[in-house]
Amino acid sequence: MAADLFGGSEAPVIDFDVFKATTRAESNESWREARRMGPVVRTNNHDGLWMMTRYDEVCAAFRDWETFSSARTNPELSSVAVTAGPAPLLVPEELDPPEWQGYRRIVAELLAPHVAESLRPRARYWSNRYLDKVIGLGRCDLVTDLAVPVPAAVIMEFLGFAEAQWLPVATVFHDVSAYPPGHPTREEALPRYAGVLDAVSDELAERRTRPREDALTTIAQATIDGAPIDERMATLLVFMVLGGGVDTTTSLVSAALVHLEANRALRDELQDDPGLLTTATEEFLRYYPPARTHTRTVASDTTVAGCPMRAGDRILLSEVSANHDELAFDAPHEFQADRFPNRHVSFGMGRHRCPGSHLARVEFTEMLTTVLQRMPDFEIDGGGAVEYPSWAMIGGWSSIPVVFTPREQA
Amino acid sequence: MRIRVDTDLCSGHALCAAMAPELYVLDDVGYCAVDGREVPEDLRGAARKGALACPERAITLSTD
Repeated sequence: MAADLFGGSEAPVIDFDVFKATTRAESNESWREARRMGPVVRTNNHDGLWMMTRYDEVCAAFRDWETFSSARTNPELSSVAVTAGPAPLLVPEELDPPEWQGYRRIVAELLAPHVAESLRPRARYWSNRYLDKVIGLGRCDLVTDLAVPVPAAVIMEFLGFAEAQWLPVATVFHDVSAYPPGHPTREEALPRYAGVLDAVSDELAERRTRPREDALTTIAQATIDGAPIDERMATLLVFMVLGGGVDTTTSLVSAALVHLEANRALRDELQDDPGLLTTATEEFLRYYPPARTHTRTVASDTTVAGCPMRAGDRILLSEVSANHDELAFDAPHEFQADRFPNRHVSFGMGRHRCPGSHLARVEFTEMLTTVLQRMPDFEIDGGGAVEYPSWAMIGGWSSIPVVFTPREQA
Repeated sequence: MRIRVDTDLCSGHALCAAMAPELYVLDDVGYCAVDGREVPEDLRGAARKGALACPERAITLSTD
């Protein structure tokens, strides 16, 4: 056994490694084993991590932001994910109150439920326009032709970016999300973050001198406690909206399409009863959380399930394990489209809960509805759908080649 | 029956309003804004559904 980094605690040790290739099935099975060992386990990888496996402990830790801090301890390195190198500060996710408050308010207003609902026609429009490009062909890739471009179009049009910028930006985030730390595709994409940050910074500078009717202008003109928003922080906030808003929804849609392809009865049920999509959306979220784990830093000594945690210790909260907790959900390993209530933790809990959840649900339901209406008989083609190479932190499919009956454009 | 919202727990998931929009009104950023609201007899089922949907369990229904 590797050296014990945890001061003689009795918590079981598992071999969790973000950098190791894992399929979805392997990841889910290892979380099932971890839950059997206890609500808190640990790994000696990644300089030592406590890992919370069960719903109650995961939710409690998410809510207790004072003990389980999201703030950075090293200004270069992510505090909310295991990463291999420097990453831009996520604003407001990697801030704690009180600093968090002003930035969170800006994002929460920007992506409020009524705003998300007002973007539904745009989500429908872009879902149809991207399917128009392939509907006559009878074959496409539902990831590259739909699930990547649509969320990017909706959020970047709303923010006020020119159309030529949408796909390049979406691709950077997709390549970083879909591939684990150390993977060549991810490492090649990471330097392009700098280009995204520069583009955002330029756009915001332009809005300060020439305001428009767009969300970038709202952010450029925002104030915090009466003072204009710091320019660098405004750039990072937009970067966070892009990073949070682009590829997570891609991941969820990809999962739902793969699931529906394999479950014809459910596809028929959703086509017959569109109202079922409300509960089914929550079940897709529970069953296939795009962000499967997050990390926190212990801010003051505490004990969870008998495990003594010291200030500075890193902990990993498993959304995917919480969502499959046998103590919290009936038959958690079954997909139940009408499950209610369904208090999954896929958007997190407490202060740092995903403020983009409202828009994510709108985009997801519009993309799925459009596919069900316009290519109801889609089938996976050729070599089959391709999973992300690691499901430790983020899960999804990077390719879903399909065939379907060709139709004329809408 | 009266709606009680623990405003410390409410984190703006907005699922109460998604389940029962006729009862659960949100503020401008999506937090539940009906703490103390009386529930009409015919909306008791909707009130329970909205409370059950809350991931933070921030909503309770009291019978004064």
